[in-house]
Amino acid sequence: MVEQTEDTGVHVRIRGKELSLAISEEHAVALKSLAQRIGREPFTKRPWAELAFFLVSGGLAGLGLAFVGFTMVTGVVLAITFFGLAVLALSIRSARGIGGWQRGLARALLSETVEDPEPFVGRHGFLGWLQSSLRDRVGWRAVAYLAVKVPWTVLGVFVAVSLWWDAFACLTGPIFGRGGGGLPVWGLVRGFFPYSSFWFQQEDFIHGVGVFILGAIFFFAAPWVTRGFVTVDRLLIRTLLCPDPMAARVRTLEQARTQTVDASAATLRRIERDLHDGTQAQLVALAMRLGMAKEKLEDADHLDLERVRELVDEAHRGAKEAIAELRDIARGIHPPALDIGLEGALATLAARSAVPTEVSVDLRTRPTPAIEAIAYFCVAELLANVAQHAHASRASISCAQQGTWLRLVVRDDGRGGAQLTTLGSTSSGLSGLTERVRAVDGRLNLVSPPGGPTVVTVDLPLSP
Amino acid sequence: MMVGALRVAIAEDSAILRDGLVQLLVDRGFAITGAVGDPGALRSSVAQNPPDVAAIDIRMPPTFTDEGLRLALELRARYEGLGILLFSQYIETRYAADLLADDAAGIGYLLKDRVADVGDFVEALERVAIGGTALDPEVVTQLLGATRRTDSLSVLTAREREVLSLMAEGRSNAAIAHALVISEGAVEKHVANIFAKLDLPVSEKDHRRVLAVLRFLDS
Repeated sequence: MVEQTEDTGVHVRIRGKELSLAISEEHAVALKSLAQRIGREPFTKRPWAELAFFLVSGGLAGLGLAFVGFTMVTGVVLAITFFGLAVLALSIRSARGIGGWQRGLARALLSETVEDPEPFVGRHGFLGWLQSSLRDRVGWRAVAYLAVKVPWTVLGVFVAVSLWWDAFACLTGPIFGRGGGGLPVWGLVRGFFPYSSFWFQQEDFIHGVGVFILGAIFFFAAPWVTRGFVTVDRLLIRTLLCPDPMAARVRTLEQARTQTVDASAATLRRIERDLHDGTQAQLVALAMRLGMAKEKLEDADHLDLERVRELVDEAHRGAKEAIAELRDIARGIHPPALDIGLEGALATLAARSAVPTEVSVDLRTRPTPAIEAIAYFCVAELLANVAQHAHASRASISCAQQGTWLRLVVRDDGRGGAQLTTLGSTSSGLSGLTERVRAVDGRLNLVSPPGGPTVVTVDLPLSP
Repeated sequence: MMVGALRVAIAEDSAILRDGLVQLLVDRGFAITGAVGDPGALRSSVAQNPPDVAAIDIRMPPTFTDEGLRLALELRARYEGLGILLFSQYIETRYAADLLADDAAGIGYLLKDRVADVGDFVEALERVAIGGTALDPEVVTQLLGATRRTDSLSVLTAREREVLSLMAEGRSNAAIAHALVISEGAVEKHVANIFAKLDLPVSEKDHRRVLAVLRFLDS
C-alpha cells in the first residue's frame, strides 16, 4: 500500500509495518510522470510508426541486401570481364536507390530528417558512368548500411517484434483460451525459469489473470524495446545514408566561395556607385561652379564679384566634402588603421564607437591580412549594431588567440533580443559577415536573450 | 539664339548636381519647368508642364542602370519635338546607338563632366532644344575607334578628320569654324571634301549629316 502523506515522504505499509521512504516530492512527481508516460506510450502514434518502420524497412532492406549481395557476388565473380564490372556498378547504384527508399521511410514514419546526399553524376560515356558508379561513395555507404541493418533487423524481429507478439498472445490468451505456450520470448524465459511453464499449463482463472498481467507488462515494455532497435537504426541512417561528409564539406566550401564571390562583386558595385553617384557627382558640381565663376570673371563689363565669391565658396565646400567622401570610401575598402595591426585598429574602432567600449587584445602571432580585415569588419559592424539597436551603456571587445584560432568576443549590456536575420540592415550587415566568416571556415555565434546581454563570438583561423 | 525662352526639365537623382544644374541654367536665363530625382516624377512633370528639352541622367532609381535611357525613348515617342539631353557618368556606345536608332534630331548624349565647361554645355543644350544633335566627343572617339572603315578614313587629311569628329558631335559649320579657329568657308570646303571622299549623301541639315556620318562609321 502506498499513500501520500502531508509531509514530503512516501509511507509504505507492508504487513502492518510502516516503512518510510525518503522520497522527496520532486522525485515523486518525476516518478509519477514517468509512470504516466509508460502507461500512455502504447496508445500514442509513435511506437506504432516505429514498429511499422522496423517491419517495412527491415523487409525492404532484406530484399535489397539479397539483390545487392547477389549482383555484387556475380559482379566480382565476373569481374575479369567487362560485364562483371557493369553488374558491380549496377549493384552499387541500386544500393544507392534502396538507401534513398530507406531514407524516405525514415522521413515518413520516424520524421527523421536526413539530408539527401548529392545526386549521382555520371561522367560522360559508358566508361565514365562505370567509373563514377564504382567510385560512388554514397552507393558504397548504402551497401554498408544494408549489411549492418539486415542482421540488426533479424535480431530485432527475435526480440522486439516477438515481444509485441507475446504481449498480444498473453493479453488475448486468457480470453480466447489459448495459453502462452510457444511464445518466442516466453520460450527464452522458460529456459531460464523451468517452473514457469507451470503457469501456462494451468487453465484456471488465477493463472489466466497472471498471463494477462504478464501480457500487460510485455505490452507496456514493447514500445521501449522497439525504440531501442529503431534508435540504433536511426544512428545508422544518420551516419551511412547522409550526404558524404567529404562531399558535404566540399559543398559548404563551394557555397561559401560563391557567396564570397557574390559578396565581393556586390562590394565592388557598392564602391563603384559610391564613387560615381557620390564623389564624382560632387566633383562635377564643383567643376561646374568653378566653370560658372570663370565665366563670370571673363565678363569684365558686368563683374559680379559677390556672385563669384559665392560660387567659389560653394566650390570650396564641395571640394572638402568630396575629400571626406573619398576618405570614407577608401576606408571601406581597406581600413588604413589595419596597417598598424589589429590591436591598434580595434582600439581606433572602440574609440570611434558611440558606446563606451573596452578593448583587450592578446595575440602572440599576427593573423594573415585577410583574417585581420575580416576581424576588423566584424567588430566594426557589431559595434555599429550595438550603437544602433542595443541601447547599451557599455560594450567590450576581446580578441584572444586560442591555439591556431582567433577568438573575437563583442559584448554589450543592452536590451538583447538580437537575431542574426534581423541584425544588420544591408547585405553588408551581419548576415554578410556570417558569410565572410564562413568563407574562411570560421564561425559566428550570437547569444542575445531578451533583456540582454548580447554576446557575439567569432572564431577565425589565424591563417586560413 | 533665343536664350531665355528655352524651357528645361531636369531629372537627376544626385541632389548636389541637380541643384547645381538648376542654378547654372537659371543663371543663364533658362526657365526650369521641373527638377526631379526619378523617372516617374519627370514623366508627370513633362505631362503637366511640357519643356523644350529634358535633361535626363541615365542612371536613376530604382535600379540605377538605364532608367534614364528608357524614359528618354518613351518621352521621345510620346512628345514629338521634345529635345532630349541624356547625360551620364560614362559613355556607352550602345546607348548612343539606341538613341539614334532612327533620328538624330533633338538628341544629345553627354558626359556629366561637360557641365564644367558651362558655355559648351549650354550651347549643346540649346542645340538639342531646337532640334539639333549633341554627341559627346567621347562617343565620337569610341565610334571612330571601333569603326571598320579605317581604310576609307585614311584618305582624309588630319584637318578633315577633326572636322568629321566635330560634325559627328552635331556641331554646325559656324561652331566648327569657331572651334578650329578657321573661316566658315574653309569648313564648308572641308565638309564637301569629306562627303565626296567618303561617298556620303550631302545634306543641309546638321542632324541629318550627323546621322550620315554615324551610319558610315557604324557600317
